[in-house]
Amino acid sequence: MSAAVPVLLDIRGVSRRFGGLLAINEVTMALEAGVITTLVGPNGAGKTTLFNLITGYLAPDAGEVLWKGRSLRGMPHWAIARLGIARTFQDLRLFTHMSVEDNVLTVMERSSWLWQPGGRRAERAKRARAAAILEMTGLSDKARVRAIDLAYAERKFLSLARIMATDAELWLLDEPASGLDLPSYERFLELLRSKAREGITVCIIEHNFDIVQRISDRIVFLDQGRLIADGEPKAVLADPHLANLYFGEHAA
Amino acid sequence: MIAYAMNLATLIAINAILAITLNFIMGYAGIFSLAHALFFGVGAYTAAWIAMHVSADFFLTVSGAALLASLLSLALALPALRVREVYFVAASLGLQVLGSTVFAEWKSVTGGIGGVIGIPPAELFGIPLSDPHAFLALALACLTFVIAVTYGLVRSSFGRSLTAIRDSESAAAAYGKNVALIKTLAVVVSSALCAVAGALYAFYLSFINVESFVLDTSILLMAMVIIGGTGTVLGPIIGTVLLLLLPAGLSYLSFLPHTEIGSIQQMIYGLAMVVLMIFRPGGLVGGRSLGERK
Amino acid sequence: MLFLQLLVNGIQVGALYALTAVGFSLIFGSTRIFHVAHGATFTLAGYVFYELYSVAGEPWIAALAAATAGAGIFGVLVDRLVYAPIQRHEGSFFTVFVASFGISIVVQNLVGTAFGRGFVSISSPLSRSVELAPGLYAPPTAAISVLAAVVCFVGLHFFLTRTHIGMALRALSENPDLVRVFGLDPRRLSSYAFALGSLLVVPGALLTGATAGLSPALGNHVMLISLAATIVGGVGSLRGAACGGLLLGLAENLALWHLDPQWSEAVTFVVLFLFIIFRPAGFFGRVATQ
Repeated sequence: MSAAVPVLLDIRGVSRRFGGLLAINEVTMALEAGVITTLVGPNGAGKTTLFNLITGYLAPDAGEVLWKGRSLRGMPHWAIARLGIARTFQDLRLFTHMSVEDNVLTVMERSSWLWQPGGRRAERAKRARAAAILEMTGLSDKARVRAIDLAYAERKFLSLARIMATDAELWLLDEPASGLDLPSYERFLELLRSKAREGITVCIIEHNFDIVQRISDRIVFLDQGRLIADGEPKAVLADPHLANLYFGEHAA
Repeated sequence: MIAYAMNLATLIAINAILAITLNFIMGYAGIFSLAHALFFGVGAYTAAWIAMHVSADFFLTVSGAALLASLLSLALALPALRVREVYFVAASLGLQVLGSTVFAEWKSVTGGIGGVIGIPPAELFGIPLSDPHAFLALALACLTFVIAVTYGLVRSSFGRSLTAIRDSESAAAAYGKNVALIKTLAVVVSSALCAVAGALYAFYLSFINVESFVLDTSILLMAMVIIGGTGTVLGPIIGTVLLLLLPAGLSYLSFLPHTEIGSIQQMIYGLAMVVLMIFRPGGLVGGRSLGERK
Repeated sequence: MLFLQLLVNGIQVGALYALTAVGFSLIFGSTRIFHVAHGATFTLAGYVFYELYSVAGEPWIAALAAATAGAGIFGVLVDRLVYAPIQRHEGSFFTVFVASFGISIVVQNLVGTAFGRGFVSISSPLSRSVELAPGLYAPPTAAISVLAAVVCFVGLHFFLTRTHIGMALRALSENPDLVRVFGLDPRRLSSYAFALGSLLVVPGALLTGATAGLSPALGNHVMLISLAATIVGGVGSLRGAACGGLLLGLAENLALWHLDPQWSEAVTFVVLFLFIIFRPAGFFGRVATQ
């Protein structure tokens, strides 16, 4: 990573409290374009909360989040999403009563009005793109199936398809691969890797050591709301204390 | 007998428009409104006023009614949709009660408790529609129009946005949906079309008063949508038919005291609501699922 | 002098509204259930007392006990028999709301069929007004209302801060998941919330019956006020609901200084609207815009 790689997301001294609990404690980190970062830490360390703070779902009590140099303070959740930051949820939150195809289509439909701009041509391009995404995620033959009727692995891929349908430059993935069987898992990783090669910046919350080793360029350690390590996986995990924190949580 | 059937059919058509438009926000967007009867009333009074002071042309009166109802619904939606759903229910309730009082007190426009009498028949391209057959045709045409518009919207990108919001509001926002704006639009569309029913009602009866536009009416409409089935096209129509035929049906049961029919009717649909919500929240047509919220 | 009279009336009504509103807020805060049927609880309590005391001539203590027990049992039954099965199957906000609504419709009409749709009054020597000053009348019920409110609030405060169940209820309204972690059963706690919240309507029901009178539709009105008070006071704050209730009672009566009576219900909603527009968090609540 050369020093000239632009910083897309700049998190500066962000803190957030819930009642008496300091969930995020002055976290400072930067996400650079094209870099895959894994966010690790024990349960309750604040990883999902950090995602919520970045995407504007929660407002920080202190500190700032900057996207391409511009502060996101005060921006509504949906506006931040439109800037190019997209996320998935640990509990997926698929649009359960819509078909797979509609789940993907609706993400591409940005206009809040009663119709979408662009007419017929835009409509066709949109559907073609949706079909391509379903092809990539292996959901083509399930296009008309309702999300609520999908199998577990298919739901995970639909969650990925949804985020692919956004034009986001930054993907925040919350445990995207957990619970997948081995072949699905391999397919998933390959898809992620190819997206990263296309230049998408990815930040993944995962407990899976395999992901950390195989595809992440960088690892960030969070514990009790504090950022305690940030660097290349090999280097970070060489620290016995951190390795213990990580493995101790997930022995065998 | 024919006259009776035609009368019933016309009323069913008008009420079906009300139920369908309420279902549009309740069943698809997940917005609970107790003010639907109010917009019905606004539509009716506006149409009556225009018919009596400007022109009884159907398109003109309906447009005026829809416009006023839309503006009023904006006043409700803009503040109340920013925050949690509880607030919208409360605000709509408040608006309905406030509105009924205004209807009853604003004598110069609404005729107060006495209401508005002598509304001229609607004119279509200059021809007054005083024949009940012609009017029924008009009502059915309007019903078809409303069904076409709502169904068209539901199948469109807007409909997808609504369903997305209903299924998971947080995810919809996370994927760039301006939830408040979309919900507001849904409310405006619903109120505007609801006013069409108001205009029809005013022309049909030639007389309107506040009694038709009170909270009890809003509750009846809600019952129609819920019992018939939210989030479906057929559901509200079935609900309307059932609940309008209920009083007639009850009057055949001679062991029921005549004075209490109104109460018994309400008890039946109150009970139906409870039982359905436990076993079949999607209503008679919808089935088991109503949609979860996150 | 009219102003003072309206003020006195407002305080009496406000104290009773405060009690009912706190009951609603307690239930909503701990269980997140929009218990529209709270108004039905009010109606039932009032009419049970009326039937036993004014119609059957039983001693008021017995009637009070019956009304209290009736209110509590009704609240718990609705929770167990209606809300619990719904929450097991799907339990969205709407499903519960609609079911609750259905219950209040059924109760309102049952009562109307049994007792008639007009007002009935619980006559008692306590409702006879005493002239405190020229032109200023207050019945003893006014003082009793305020006293009852104070006593109930003190008792509630004690219950919520000193007893195990009370503290568990508070924990439930802050963080439902945490409660499960501590080995408590949210379902059973919810029944406690319903019992307690429902009991709080009893003073309001009886005293309203003794002053303005009862009618089947009154439950609706009380429900609207409780809802408005909860929002005005701030969702999640019992203190707020009490203040909201008092404020609305005062507003409803002071409005009569300049407006005709039919506008007094509308005034409640104007107040509600203003809060929703300018201060959705209410007096003491925490804003949750998403």
